[in-house]
Amino acid sequence: MKDKDNTTDVLVIGAGIAGIQASLMLSKSGRQIHVVEKTSYTGGSTIKFEEVFSNMECSTCMLAPIQQEFLQDKNIHLHTLAEVEEIKGTLGNFSVEINKKARYVDMVNCIGCNACFEPCPVSTKNEFEEGLSKRKAIYVPCAGALPNVPMIDTSLCLRFKGKNCQACQEACMFEAIDFNQKDQKIKLDVGSIIVATGFNIFDSTKTPQYGYGKIDDVYTAFEFERLYASNGPTEGKIQLKNGKSPKSAAIIHCVGRDTIGYCSSVCCLYSLKFNHYLKSKIPEIKIFEFYTDLCIPGKLHQKFYEKMRDAGTKLIRSSDINMTKQGQGITISYSDESKKKSSLLVEMVLLAPALVPKEDASTLAKTLGIPVDDYGFYKEENQDISTIMTSKPGIFIVGCSQGPKDIQHSVSQASAAVGKILSSS
Amino acid sequence: MDRKIGVYICECGPNISEKIDIDKVIEAVSSLKDVVIVEKYKLLCSEDGKNFLKEQIKKHNITHLVVAACSPREHQQTFMNVCENAGINPYLFQLVNIREQCAWITEDKEEATKKAIKLTKAAIKRIYYHTPLEKKQIDSNPDVLVIGGGIAGIEASLQLAKPDRKVYLVEKTSSLGGLVKNFEKTYPDMIPSAPFIQQKIEKVHKNPNITIFTDSEVTGILGFFGNFEVKVNQLAAENKTTDFDVGAVILATGSTLFDPRKSPQYNYGTVDNVITALDFEQMNLTGKIVLKNGKPPKSAAIIHCVGRDKKGYCSEICCMYSLKFIRYLKEKIPGILVTNFYSDLCIPGKSHQKFYEQTLGKNVEFKRAENIEIHKKGEQLDIKYRDENGNTNKSLVDMVILSPALEVPSDSSTLGEFLGISQDDGNFFIEEHEKLSPVSTSTEGVYLAGCTQGPKSIPDTITQAEAVTGKILSSLIPGKKIEPEVKVSYISESFCIGCKTCLDVCSYGCITFNEVKKISVVNEVICRGCGNCVAACPSGAATLKHFTFRQLYQELSEAVQ
Amino acid sequence: MTEKFEPRIVGFLCNWCSYAGADLAGSSKLKVPSSLIPIRVMCSSRVDPVLVLTALLQGADGVLVAGCHPGDCHYDEGNYYARRRFAVLKKVIESLGLESGRLRLSWVSASEGQRFADVVTEFNEKIKKMGPNPMKKKSSL
Repeated sequence: MKDKDNTTDVLVIGAGIAGIQASLMLSKSGRQIHVVEKTSYTGGSTIKFEEVFSNMECSTCMLAPIQQEFLQDKNIHLHTLAEVEEIKGTLGNFSVEINKKARYVDMVNCIGCNACFEPCPVSTKNEFEEGLSKRKAIYVPCAGALPNVPMIDTSLCLRFKGKNCQACQEACMFEAIDFNQKDQKIKLDVGSIIVATGFNIFDSTKTPQYGYGKIDDVYTAFEFERLYASNGPTEGKIQLKNGKSPKSAAIIHCVGRDTIGYCSSVCCLYSLKFNHYLKSKIPEIKIFEFYTDLCIPGKLHQKFYEKMRDAGTKLIRSSDINMTKQGQGITISYSDESKKKSSLLVEMVLLAPALVPKEDASTLAKTLGIPVDDYGFYKEENQDISTIMTSKPGIFIVGCSQGPKDIQHSVSQASAAVGKILSSS
Repeated sequence: MDRKIGVYICECGPNISEKIDIDKVIEAVSSLKDVVIVEKYKLLCSEDGKNFLKEQIKKHNITHLVVAACSPREHQQTFMNVCENAGINPYLFQLVNIREQCAWITEDKEEATKKAIKLTKAAIKRIYYHTPLEKKQIDSNPDVLVIGGGIAGIEASLQLAKPDRKVYLVEKTSSLGGLVKNFEKTYPDMIPSAPFIQQKIEKVHKNPNITIFTDSEVTGILGFFGNFEVKVNQLAAENKTTDFDVGAVILATGSTLFDPRKSPQYNYGTVDNVITALDFEQMNLTGKIVLKNGKPPKSAAIIHCVGRDKKGYCSEICCMYSLKFIRYLKEKIPGILVTNFYSDLCIPGKSHQKFYEQTLGKNVEFKRAENIEIHKKGEQLDIKYRDENGNTNKSLVDMVILSPALEVPSDSSTLGEFLGISQDDGNFFIEEHEKLSPVSTSTEGVYLAGCTQGPKSIPDTITQAEAVTGKILSSLIPGKKIEPEVKVSYISESFCIGCKTCLDVCSYGCITFNEVKKISVVNEVICRGCGNCVAACPSGAATLKHFTFRQLYQELSEAVQ
Repeated sequence: MTEKFEPRIVGFLCNWCSYAGADLAGSSKLKVPSSLIPIRVMCSSRVDPVLVLTALLQGADGVLVAGCHPGDCHYDEGNYYARRRFAVLKKVIESLGLESGRLRLSWVSASEGQRFADVVTEFNEKIKKMGPNPMKKKSSL
């Protein structure tokens, strides 16, 4: 049997912040990196946030330079709308097969002028904007998305349903729209693999006591991020369903924690960040934080908490929370610290749901041949020795795909995986 | 210089051609000095467009290229590459943004055309003052200095040391292992810690590419990324000094525990059987948990957050190791009653809640408490506290274990000064960027790993040590030269008046003062090109390459026409 | 016959944030007054007070300096220096007999296309009300 030559190329699954940082570091040392990203854009979840804790830095400003570098780097080969289908082999010698869906827009010809959107006759809810605004069948998820090239959603596009529509193609001056593009199967040979597929948030409909999906103006963290985002559906205006500015808001911590059984480590912190969001747009707003234990580890975070607390937020240690609609507002009934029953009327409720694994994590785990833990996250081989190594040498798990964590820890893990790869070959 | 400027205006399909009267722009700029050709093209960033430019450069012997098209943030690099491929220095090029910031922001074609003419003229005038800039290549030393022989320093050393990359590991005390060598087990898997750390220490000793200095201190570091000169003082060897060169420095000096004597309400050191977490770990390692009188305690209290109010941050690991302590106690004294006095339970991470739930059980109590005071009462300790209902309560126990905050040793500021890195209010060293660069610092080539950067657990410390490895392995490659930023600051010897204003404003510490010549000097290897020193310089001695005063003046003088 | 006053505004925009924000205003096809001529710098801290004064003395009706929001500077602290220099510049401009309102400092992030459009529109209106730079007549002598 012939031995295939080992390769030092690396496969990075996921072009979120961890995947981007890992790729840039590997490129510096001359490696060839193949990045497989499921969506049509880069930046993962971080790109949805307007600001990040604890210094409230603008998230897009933070990401944009590294995204540009990532997209223009000669050593990084990005495949968007792509998923890993099969992996064979071992460390130094993995053969990977990916399925790359057609974008139907030529990435070289398209200059990102967006002229193709307006004439498209079909529209639907924009998933990136958490359904708070609409998009067309040919679209980019948000203004400033990179790569700035639209894709066609074939489940909606009339042409792909047999109708003779070519409105977008007619509007394009650069011959960038190509209905004849086909899905591709691409084979890649790599020596190591970094899994950086990120997370989902807990489905708040599973905790009906919070009223999500039933009562107006109960929003999840991601929905609120998009409401506040300056490139979001309301251009950053925080408003209720009736268009008015809320006079009071409650932020509920630990949504889903009882169901899933762990602390997601970032929710207390981003809830405090939401304080800043609310106060910056509506200075007079009254904010109530409903929490169980305040989890704010780290050298900077207590100061951050104190700043928010001193700005007037009321923190209520509570349990047994229930929401009911009351007129234009929402009544929150709860048990306080001394187990006494109480209630509060607010106009807006923000839920801080747990961080959970991506829905397809177990499928990808099977493809990779690595186990998942009891919670569905990829399992490290021995968390006391290294949180990023799996049972398969050469396959590393980083960021929230390995467990809930903040951006700093995700980036550290990504760099650590690069360290392991570079030091072993 | 025989200058031949070629100006090319991109139509960008209809994006520019329909919004701007390109022919008017061509007419307006053709007569400018040294402009030999002005042409428009459908799409300059396409393969055809790039080839067209390359041919034009050859055909007209163009020495300077101006392209009026989209934003430099889109295609600056694209056209710089075209220049390089065509034999022009890529800095003899200017990309004029007549799309995003001109054609696309108005419907008035006349307005847009006027502005496009202005911007293109400005670029042509600017380019008169462009000078060719060359990429520099600097030799570098791939070796690494690791300060601190705890788990972070050990991990980093083992990962980095190779025949072509030596590691110098400097440890203040007489043995490696840091704090971790005191632990019987680590959470959450409760694996024996001693064999784990011993194995690593042995590997370090056996590694021929790691030179270990114990009982030693770093007494001097000079230089910059790729070229640091280090002085180490071996205290045990009659203060023998050793010199060596490295390319990178890792600060892995870790933390110590907050001294509870600073919070007298706990009566640590004045009353028997009140001990710190470290005292307890060390006692537990002997296999016997006993009181001062030699008997095992029947009850124990663990006090969380000791010193937190003074330090102003949560140390992240204390709730978890307090749970670990419950397990130590129950293993060695099965019937013991344990009470944890805490404020908020901080147990982030996928495995930690299970660890907490599995630690609870018979004879284990968790009490939320504040205003805790500890007093001697006979042979026992009386804990006075305020519970979550606001009532004052008391609890009598045999032994009290204090879980103090993690803090950085006070003698660390000397190292900070050597390395030109700052510490925050809590004395932790400050990373370059909280999210994107948690293990780098503002001094290039100086990295942080472990509790010196902030309180953290062992797995996170190991991850940081590995992350630093990644940083060093990708940027300091044996045999490969460093290519620093090209558009850097430069200070003219003749004009510098030695006021030192620039030294203060540089965030990266790349300006040094030459005491002999009494002038400031920029280290071009580490300059990031922000231009702050240029704006600060009162004598105009500082310039920023490619963003010189003259170049910017040309743009602004055209803007005000 | 009175000529319609068309302001000439010089804008120093930092590469990482405000220039990107200005680009986004364009990509989003927002209306931004063409009176602003952008000059790209790497950091707002590069903006030498002498450059700003030169612009005003040469007849610029307004000067806008835009950088990253405090805390977000790509070069760590550059924008804090820009802020300090701006404060001193305002006083200097007044002493020259010019309205200090002709100088504006704004923080615009890369995702704030609308904000950039708003800032420039508002500044343009203000300058229109102020009228042409009185220095223009003097320097033309």
